[in-house]
Parts: sequence; C-alpha cells; structure tokens
Amino acid sequence: MQTDVTVLIDWSSAEPVYAQIARQIRSRIASGDLTPGLALPPVRVLASDLGVNLNTVARAYWLLEEEGFLRIRDRSGAEVTAPLRDADPAAVERLRQQLAAVLSRMRQAGLTLAEVRQQAERELATLAGRDPERQLEAT
Amino acid sequence: MTTGIFFVVTLVEALLIGGIFLLYPRFARRGLLFGVYVGEQVSAGDEAGRITRGWYTGIIVWMGLTILVSVGLWSVRPSVALAPLAPSLLVIGFLGLYLRAYFQARALAPEGPAPPAATVLTSTPPANPILPFTAIGFGAACGVAALAYAASHYADLPPLVPTHFGPSGAPDAWRPKSLGTVMLLPLMTLVLGVSLGVIAFLTSRAKRALRYPLTEVSAAAQTRFREAMTRYISAIGMMATLMLTLMAISSIRVALGLERGLSPVAMITAGVLLVAALAGTVYIGLRYGQGGARLERAASRAQLTDGLADNRYWVLGMFYVNRDDPAILVEHRFGLGYTLNLGNWKAVALFVLFIGLLVGITVAALVAK
Repeated sequence: MQTDVTVLIDWSSAEPVYAQIARQIRSRIASGDLTPGLALPPVRVLASDLGVNLNTVARAYWLLEEEGFLRIRDRSGAEVTAPLRDADPAAVERLRQQLAAVLSRMRQAGLTLAEVRQQAERELATLAGRDPERQLEAT
Repeated sequence: MTTGIFFVVTLVEALLIGGIFLLYPRFARRGLLFGVYVGEQVSAGDEAGRITRGWYTGIIVWMGLTILVSVGLWSVRPSVALAPLAPSLLVIGFLGLYLRAYFQARALAPEGPAPPAATVLTSTPPANPILPFTAIGFGAACGVAALAYAASHYADLPPLVPTHFGPSGAPDAWRPKSLGTVMLLPLMTLVLGVSLGVIAFLTSRAKRALRYPLTEVSAAAQTRFREAMTRYISAIGMMATLMLTLMAISSIRVALGLERGLSPVAMITAGVLLVAALAGTVYIGLRYGQGGARLERAASRAQLTDGLADNRYWVLGMFYVNRDDPAILVEHRFGLGYTLNLGNWKAVALFVLFIGLLVGITVAALVAK
C-alpha cells in the first residue's frame, strides 16, 4: 500500500458515523487506493479502533455491499469487488435518477449551474485520479 | 528475619518498585500527560516539563520516606508483618502523586470538540495465537497435575500441613489438614496459569491507539508493542505456573516429611520470575515505550486519535468507560500495558470472574474443614 488508507471520524460532523465510514471507503475504492480483491479489516477491528458500536461499522459494510463496492466475507471481514464489466441498464437508469436528484439539490442549495458543473467536474477528476485543478483548467 | 535482611529487602523493594514508577513518564506517548490528553505540542512544553519534574522529585522523596519509615518501625518493633509495608507505602505514594499530577495536567487539556477517531484499512493479519494458547495449555496441564498430585496424597497427609514458607524455604506456619488448605495452591496454579494465558491472548487483540496522519506508521509500532507484550505476559505466565506447580508439589512433600523445605528449584524459579518480570517491564518500556511510542519517531508528532485522545471516556485518567467500544483491553494512558474497557460488559464479566475465582478459592480454603 503506497498511501495511508485511513478512515477518519469527525465527531462534530452532522453526517452519521456509518455514512462517514462508507463515504471514505467508497471514495478510496473509486480512486484506486483500495484495489479489487483487497481484504478490509474485520468489523470488530474497525469498531475497536474507532471506538464505535459494531453495528455502526457493519451498517457501513452492508451499505457498500449493497452498492456493489464490497463483498462481505466470513468472520465479518470484507473484500473490495471489481467494477462490473457490463452495466445493467436498469441499474444505470436508477443511478442516473439519483444523480439528477443530487444535481437538482445542489441547484436548490443555491449553486449556479456553472458551480454545479464545477463540482461535478471536480468529482469526476478525483474519480479519474487526476488533479482537479488541472482538470478544471482543461475545461 | 534479621534487621540486615529486612533492611536489604526494603531497600531493594523501594528501588525496584519506586524505580519503575519513576520511569513511567519515560514510557509515555507524546500527547499524554499523567493520564490526560493535552495535545502533542503541550505535552512537550514547559508546563508539562514542570509537572513531570514534580513527579520525579515526589517519587524520589517518597522512596526515601518509605525506607525510613519501614526501617524505623522495624527498629522499634521487629515483625514479619512489616514485610509488605514498603510496597504498600510505595503504591499509596504513587497514587497520591499521580492524582496530584493528573489534576495539574487537567488544567492543560484543550477545550473544544472531541479529537477525531482513525483507523487504517490495511488489513493486518491477526497475531499468531500459538504462544498465548501454549501458556493456556501449560497452565491447565500444570494446574491439573498439581491437583492430581495433591489428591493422590491427601489420605497420607498428617493432621497439620504447612501453609506458609519463610525466605529460607522452611515452613513457618501450619494449619489443620483440610481439602481447602491442601487444594488451595494447586487451584491457584490452575486459575492463575490459565488466566495469564487468556490475558496474553486478549493483549494480542487489544484496542489500537493510532495517530493521524501517518496512521500506518503508528499502526505498525502498535503491532510490534502488542507482540512484545503478548510474548512477555505468556512467558511470565508460564514461569509463574511452573513456580506455583513446584511449590504445590513441594509443600505436599514437606507435609509428608519427604523434604525439609521448599524445593530449591521452586525458590530459584521464584527469584528468576521476580527478576524477569521487573526486567521485562523496564525493557519493554524503554525499548518500545507505551503502545510502541518509541518506535513512532516522526509520527509521534501526529495527532493521537480516539480511545487514548478522548478525555471524555477516561475517569481520573485511569479507567476507560466506553459503552459503544467493543474493545476489552485498552492501553493504559499512564504506565505500561493495558487496562479494561469498563463500559464493555464482557470485560467487566471477565474481571469479576477472575477476581471472583481467586477470592472464592481463598475464602473456600479458609473455611473448608
């Protein structure tokens, strides 16, 4: 592992702890820091390190399994799964609707269309493992 | 016991026990000051230095007072009952000085939101349980062997059996023969031998205290510390089991008139155990530091997270109480080794079971006819 693949919990955040864990693992998988086939620590180890309830970590793992990022293994461990080769059209449509909902919410939150686009570009750049600033310049 | 022997024993006790207390701040993690998380910068600052110097002075003065009081009382009225006085005084002094330093450190604790919690997603393989399991097996085998030996000779034992042995190994106290008096030591061997193996096993899976960033560096240091502690507790556990087994068998042989005192091997094992326990503590403390603190190097300046850093979960800096945390053993904030998560019912149940067995066996032995 080249980088410290850390999960950090901010107690003052309004985001629930399970969602913070899921978001950070998801982001690490998307950026390639966590590669397919990699074993994640058992629920007990993560919960113990973070000082949170076992169910909190288990909920994050279940959520990521539902989203297709992880496969839960025996003894409460989990393994990073590879992206599917062929997208399921129904799943794509469902995700497109979720994306549309998020973009609408950003607009509703007061961002201009240009700002919404900037945010989307930034996330795409992160996903591609590129420098967001350079990506913005290119657009 | 002569005055000379009492003086030497008191001096050695004071120097060894007080010496380890004196070294405690040297084992500490950066960021922690006498059981309080004050932050990495503050713990290396002038005020922290003043509190730590107060600790050194206090412990040295208390060691001197302990020796003076113990020897003074002995010179007025010599009694074997004064033997545990020095260790008791040292522990009382330690607690008093610790609490003073703790409240001084509390004043330096940062205000504001709780520090973050961190973990690494690199899955480290679980520690090899062979050594703790060996210690558990050894404790069980020796305990059962000692019980079997005592049971097989029970009918042949005289009406009075030795229950205490002096420094020379010769018996100096007897009690009427009963199941309790005869079986006490073998049962203690079984309980202590197995329990120390279980503690070694739990140590290998204790809660980690990590830093952020450079989390993986602190995780690696932590792993090495836990491995060292597991080896140490397993080894001490097996040595204690061996010593108790030899003593249990030897005391039966003394009662039967086959030997005049405790076996020299048992006495030597007891001496080696004492030296190994103390030397091991000092070695691990100075080589690894608490939780591997001395292996963290540059990472020691990074923010300590969660369990150790969150003052909300620590009562007087000594007792960790977090109901959500599934951890059973948690690093001490001050000193060396691990303590229980008193918010976890499994940890509390284990502690109650262990103490209950020791007290239960002793009480049963005293009242058994």
